Amino acid sequence: MPEKNFSGPAVAVDKLSFNYGRQKVLDELSLGVPGGISFGLLGPNGAGKTTLIRLLVGLLRARAGTILTLGRKPSPRIAHLIGYMPQLPSLYNELSVIQNVEFFARIYRLRDRKQRTQRVEEVIKLVDLWQHRNKSVTNLSGGMRQRASLACAIVHNPPLIFLDEPTVGLDPELRVHFWEYFQGLTASGSTLIISSHTMDDAAHCDRLAFMRDGNIIALGTPDELRQATGQAKATLEDAFLYFIKHGGVNENVG
Amino acid sequence: MKMSASTLVIAGRIINQLVRDRRTIILIAVVPLVIASLVGVSVPDKSILDYTAPAILAVMILFFGFLLTGISFLRERSQGTLERLMASPVSRLDIVGGYLLGFLLFAVVQTMVLFFYLIYVIKVNYYGDLWQILVFQVLIGIGAVCMGTFFSVLAKNEFQMVQFIPMIIIPQMFLCGLLWPVSQMPEYLQWLANVLPMTYGVSGIRALMLQGQDLLDIGKEIGVLAAYAVGLLILSAITLRRGKG
Repeated sequence: MPEKNFSGPAVAVDKLSFNYGRQKVLDELSLGVPGGISFGLLGPNGAGKTTLIRLLVGLLRARAGTILTLGRKPSPRIAHLIGYMPQLPSLYNELSVIQNVEFFARIYRLRDRKQRTQRVEEVIKLVDLWQHRNKSVTNLSGGMRQRASLACAIVHNPPLIFLDEPTVGLDPELRVHFWEYFQGLTASGSTLIISSHTMDDAAHCDRLAFMRDGNIIALGTPDELRQATGQAKATLEDAFLYFIKHGGVNENVG
Repeated sequence: MKMSASTLVIAGRIINQLVRDRRTIILIAVVPLVIASLVGVSVPDKSILDYTAPAILAVMILFFGFLLTGISFLRERSQGTLERLMASPVSRLDIVGGYLLGFLLFAVVQTMVLFFYLIYVIKVNYYGDLWQILVFQVLIGIGAVCMGTFFSVLAKNEFQMVQFIPMIIIPQMFLCGLLWPVSQMPEYLQWLANVLPMTYGVSGIRALMLQGQDLLDIGKEIGVLAAYAVGLLILSAITLRRGKG
């Protein structure tokens, strides 16, 4: 299993720009994420969250700027240290839950059969799908697919995990369950980078970056962001609106 | 190409996926038989059937191999599983190699079913060595799978892939010598026919089945088909690059 004792920042991004054709998606974005925390990328649809995650994972190549994940440029060489859960629950529909998780365990180099079997069982139980392990993905509900997708992303116990909108479509009870599990992951030393557009998710993160129009408008802990508004009972939604209104581009309140 | 453990894992997953999809498995076996039966009953003259059947066999191997691989690979992309694989430690060659191996098994099974059906049920005569004919059919199957993989990497969606089928397969059916000898076509069409892989598939299988020649006698056909397969496999891996955007 990959080690979790990286001393430097889990992610360091400097003046990152990216275009889809002529459309500018990220504009000189800079960001540092310390290890062992849950870091939320918060913003509306089209803010550039998914593009940023795809760049950090190495699925896209930056037009300008630098990216370091776990101290190295994103490449297949460090891919086994990274977990990635895409926005859609990208699974093989004909295969069962256990076959999907087993496949990703083997792809992520869990070669010892005994250890692999144990780990596959462990993560499927963790996402509460053990009783459904032999069901085809086609026969699962949306929430179950999300959970199976999460199991595939973490089966190799990576130190750095990217979760793109992991709680979309989940019922409130399951959402709470997911967050309990995410907190368990950070407690064990993993770094989580989670994109979301709901403020409910934001409140659970150790640190947040508010994103809008391809850039970060504010960085800090949820409390710091709320306090920056100057209102005693400000919510994170109020804080987000405050930073939009006051145009705090790249302002680090933390 | 160096085969890694990941190549075998991907191939195993593809086999698992198709085996669990019983309807597809049945269709893989039945559809070529329906078409072969149609050919058998629609060609009344036995000598014409004997002459036409090897070419139809080659065309069908190429067509079904192309279709099965092309659509499946595209589905991998539309489901998002390809992106997930591209974010993992597997290399591009592992991915296309795994696809080649996984689908080759089904292409070979389909080829065998079709061939033995033509021989034993439709009663098509052949003269060459059985094993040599089968080896050459597998080579056509490899070419078909590589071609399907390559064009599905190029296609961005299902509509584009569907357009590739008539664009890639139908001209080859007309130009490969199935309907009319290549030597009697206009010169510019002969030139075109001579750069298309199906022409070599048809000429090779005819040499083996109708003239009783050996694999050693059809070195050119084998060489061209192998070159196509290797070239398309490498091109698929290059096209399927990480960091594309």
